[in-house]
Amino acid sequence: MEVPERRSLIEIGKTPINPLVFWGVITLTLLVVLALIINTAGVTNGIHWLLVVPIVAYLLIMGFFIGYTHKLQKERDRLMVEKIREEEVKIGEVKKLNHELEAYAKQLFDKDFELSLANKRLQSLEQAKSKFVSVTTHQLRTPLAAIKWTFHMILGGNMGPITADQKNFLQKGYDSAERMITIINDLLNVDYIEADRSDYNFTAVDLIKLSEGILFEFTNPAESKKIKLDLIKSVDGLPTVAADPIKIGMVLENLVDNAIKYTPVGGRVTIHLSDARINSARSSLEVIVSDGGIGIPAAERDKIFHRFFRGSNAVRLEPNGTGLGLFIARDIIEKHGGDIWFESKEGAGTNFHFTLPVFRGSETKTP
Amino acid sequence: MDKTNETEKQKHVLIVEDDEFLRSLTAKRLEKEGYRIDVAVDGENAISLLETIKPDIVLLDLLLPGKDGFEVLKNIRASATVKTVPVVIFSNLGQKEDIQKANALGVEDFLIKANFTLDDVVSKINKLVGK
Repeated sequence: MEVPERRSLIEIGKTPINPLVFWGVITLTLLVVLALIINTAGVTNGIHWLLVVPIVAYLLIMGFFIGYTHKLQKERDRLMVEKIREEEVKIGEVKKLNHELEAYAKQLFDKDFELSLANKRLQSLEQAKSKFVSVTTHQLRTPLAAIKWTFHMILGGNMGPITADQKNFLQKGYDSAERMITIINDLLNVDYIEADRSDYNFTAVDLIKLSEGILFEFTNPAESKKIKLDLIKSVDGLPTVAADPIKIGMVLENLVDNAIKYTPVGGRVTIHLSDARINSARSSLEVIVSDGGIGIPAAERDKIFHRFFRGSNAVRLEPNGTGLGLFIARDIIEKHGGDIWFESKEGAGTNFHFTLPVFRGSETKTP
Repeated sequence: MDKTNETEKQKHVLIVEDDEFLRSLTAKRLEKEGYRIDVAVDGENAISLLETIKPDIVLLDLLLPGKDGFEVLKNIRASATVKTVPVVIFSNLGQKEDIQKANALGVEDFLIKANFTLDDVVSKINKLVGK
């Protein structure tokens, strides 16, 4: 960047005529004039010459001093110009920095703008998704309600008497409709499951009882695939855990349901309860749900807990899954202050592990 | 007791439901309990029926063609004749916002169809109209 005022200062520093030459010329001119005066006056005595000598000497000394001063001045000017140049370079640098800063600021502003745009897009996507879930579940729940009510009316004898056998079958139909409704409710709840910790009701839960109840629920689907269901306790007298029984029931249901779904006919599914207090600083119990199923492909292990994600081999085997079970399970376990993980071998089986803190009284309300 | 007398004593339920099968099932079940039933298939239908029949209770679906259940509910609460009629929402919508919205407008109960049976609905209505 040019600085006009500074440039003019540099010009001032440069004197156009060398003073040594200037004074030399003046001295010589004076000498010539004196010589002429002396000649014309015809004065020839020594007094006049004696006057001329100091004048000439004076003029010469003056010339010399002025020349010397000028030299010093020139040096000073040179230094000054140099300083000014340095300053100008610095000013240039500052200006450059300023520009860079401005550019960065603009970039920051642009990024901020982009981010807020992306955020808005995400929010509207989230809203669209919520709306989609809400409408879809409504459309699914309506025909399911019709099925459920019909079964219920016939079961209740409102449509005339039925035999015990008929009642048995109708009850299974009713239960299936109920199960489907539960799944849809889950799908609807998944939005809230993430957000609402306050909905959790932590009490002392007996995992043995809870697991037995869950396995009992799955007696029919297991029988139809000739899968053996087992509950193994590694030690007797397991303590209770601090948990919301409905939520943990949901986790176990999801894990056992998956295990049965993806284990071939004649296989085995086990819930293993053990005391994890021995090898952990935190007082907790460990639950392992093991199957002899299709396993989780190594490349998909990172994604298995993601919402709506389903293993590629699982999709091939069972096209009608939601990909929400493990997502919900992890969310619930984490809200209990526990961990969930798995080990798996494709084609051989999977073990899902989770831990829950041991119940110690009311202080476990918010783990 | 003659027939006219009996009809007069019968409590009157207006069912607002667009799904034909659900509507007929509900009507059938409530008739069996001795209620007098009128049905509306959409919001407009419900609003015009309300003023003429003045029911004792309204069973109201939310997702309806044209004017939805919330509109009908607003209409009821702004009306001179049926302002205080008890309304039970009977819908498959059931997000927190829907429930809050309905409660703000004034409803006796909010039932999600799939989560209840018709027996539950009957006992709810019995309780509300003092049968």
